[in-house]
Amino acid sequence: MTIQSLMNKWNLFIDTFLNKGGYKEVVTGLINTLIIALVALVIGIIIGTIIAAIEVQPKKGKIMMVLNKICTVYVAFFRGTPIVVQLLLGYFVILPLLGWNFSSVVVAIMIMGLNSGAYVSEIMRSGILSVDIGQMEAGRAMGLNYGTTMRKIIIPQAVKNILPTLGNELISLVKETSVVSFIGVVDLYKAFRTIGSGNYEYMMPFLVMAVIYIVIILLITFGLRMMERGLRASDKR
Amino acid sequence: MISVRNVYKNFGELKVLKGVSSEIQKGEKVAIIGPSGSGKSTLLRCMNLLEEPTYGEIWLDDKLLTPADPYLHPEVIAASKTYQSMYQKKGNSNTTELDEEIIREIKEKDLLQKHEGKEYKERLKQIEKDCRVDVNLARQRVGMVFQHFNLFNNLTVMENLTIAPVTLKLQSVEEATEKAGELLKRIGLYEKKDEYPSKLSGGQKQRIAIVRSLVMNPEAILFDEPTSALDPEMVGEVLELIRELAEEGMTMVIVTHEMGFAREVATRVLFMDGGEIKEENTPEEFFGNPQHPRLKEFLSKVL
Ligand SMILES: Nc1ncnc2c1ncn2[C@@H]1O[C@H](COP(=O)(O)OP(=O)(O)OP(=O)(O)O)[C@@H](O)[C@H]1O
Ligand SMILES: [Mg+2]
Repeated sequence: MTIQSLMNKWNLFIDTFLNKGGYKEVVTGLINTLIIALVALVIGIIIGTIIAAIEVQPKKGKIMMVLNKICTVYVAFFRGTPIVVQLLLGYFVILPLLGWNFSSVVVAIMIMGLNSGAYVSEIMRSGILSVDIGQMEAGRAMGLNYGTTMRKIIIPQAVKNILPTLGNELISLVKETSVVSFIGVVDLYKAFRTIGSGNYEYMMPFLVMAVIYIVIILLITFGLRMMERGLRASDKR
Repeated sequence: MISVRNVYKNFGELKVLKGVSSEIQKGEKVAIIGPSGSGKSTLLRCMNLLEEPTYGEIWLDDKLLTPADPYLHPEVIAASKTYQSMYQKKGNSNTTELDEEIIREIKEKDLLQKHEGKEYKERLKQIEKDCRVDVNLARQRVGMVFQHFNLFNNLTVMENLTIAPVTLKLQSVEEATEKAGELLKRIGLYEKKDEYPSKLSGGQKQRIAIVRSLVMNPEAILFDEPTSALDPEMVGEVLELIRELAEEGMTMVIVTHEMGFAREVATRVLFMDGGEIKEENTPEEFFGNPQHPRLKEFLSKVL
């Protein structure tokens, strides 16, 4: 391939991107990708924390036993099936069955969030188990119940311990959003695909897409480093 | 005020407590000593149900903290099918009096089954209905101090002191903060109120852990080897604080290896060995005139 033909491809891409409104598509895709990943992480952390708190409870009553079983099935399902299958099930099976009318972005956020919850629960569980057992005992000995001690004493310490791992979860969520186009969401991948499909010229669009993904991941990694450094500094206060 | 009734504790196959009974009266200072692994901590932790007894009951005044244990209630045993069939076999004509012999036999041979009939079940339930309290309520009345302090690492000193009374709505934030402030001043650590535990020395941590339990206005405090994790130069300041509390009349149970302290502060000393209380006495008698051979041996080693 000659330099000349590469230049041509590039000019074609720039033309579609700037003059034919391709950038709008990319901005939408970028926003969707980031929103889906971030909101899904928040949902994942909430669900994962609840599951972990149920799972690590040593003496379970009847209700807790049932909840624990549900959690086990939940985690097994979301970890054991491809995320594409989960998206398709959610959008084309569950949604119509329930008669709900959500946009595909909302469905993507929900499914990615539910999926992430299964992974975060494992991360959170190891975080909780890394907190000294004496912290729970001290809370319980003062009359605080299990849930309150978890919430106010154990989980804050657990989260601090697992922050780097949670950062990795955000990164893998960003990467995994590239499958949401299966249910028609315009994400980064879909945006660049659309640009390319205008003239069947995919080389430059996908190259630029890859660069954007890398930049996002690098930015997140950098942000997490700064956060960790901040936390470590506050430890030395 | 704390009553331990025939408590057994098994960890799987391991039998750690083998029928321990003791009454802790209001105002008493009870020291528990004994070799490592004898079950001292387990006994103490049973008193506020950090460990659940396998059999037996724990009472706080007239409140039952554990499930009711049928073997401790003759009238429950008497309602059991086992008792009644034994009673009939014996051909007893007297129908109203409890047959002490049968009761003793049932207790000794552990004859009660899982299902002993409706009457039996109902009597057992009735006891729990009348006396049993939520363990969280009971724990508000009995403080605990741990060997490794267990201050909440994610909270400042002040927050450590106020979290329980405020969360449990026993005190307003202002009340709790004021009370905590006074207590911190008392131990000379008021200026540390906004520090995190990681910045404190062991002795400071333990004294703060002690006042953390005091903020709750407890009726008794359980101490599990409060000075064992401290550097020698910090033991004194912690023992001094405990001694002060003792002098103010606080009811306390202390597991300790500090024989001198036990002798001086305790009103009663228990010797645990192999999961049983082998001897209990006033400190004078306990140390001056030990009876049980195991205690003599133990004292000769540690004194
Ligand atoms: N949660 C537990 N699970 C299993 N075994 C336990 C548990 N807690 C205690 N044990 C065992 O029970 C026995 C008694 O323990 P306990 O802590 O009551 O002894 P102790 O008298 O306090 O000893 P020490 O002076 O070393 O503190 C020990 O053999 C210990 O290993
Ligand atoms: Mg111990």
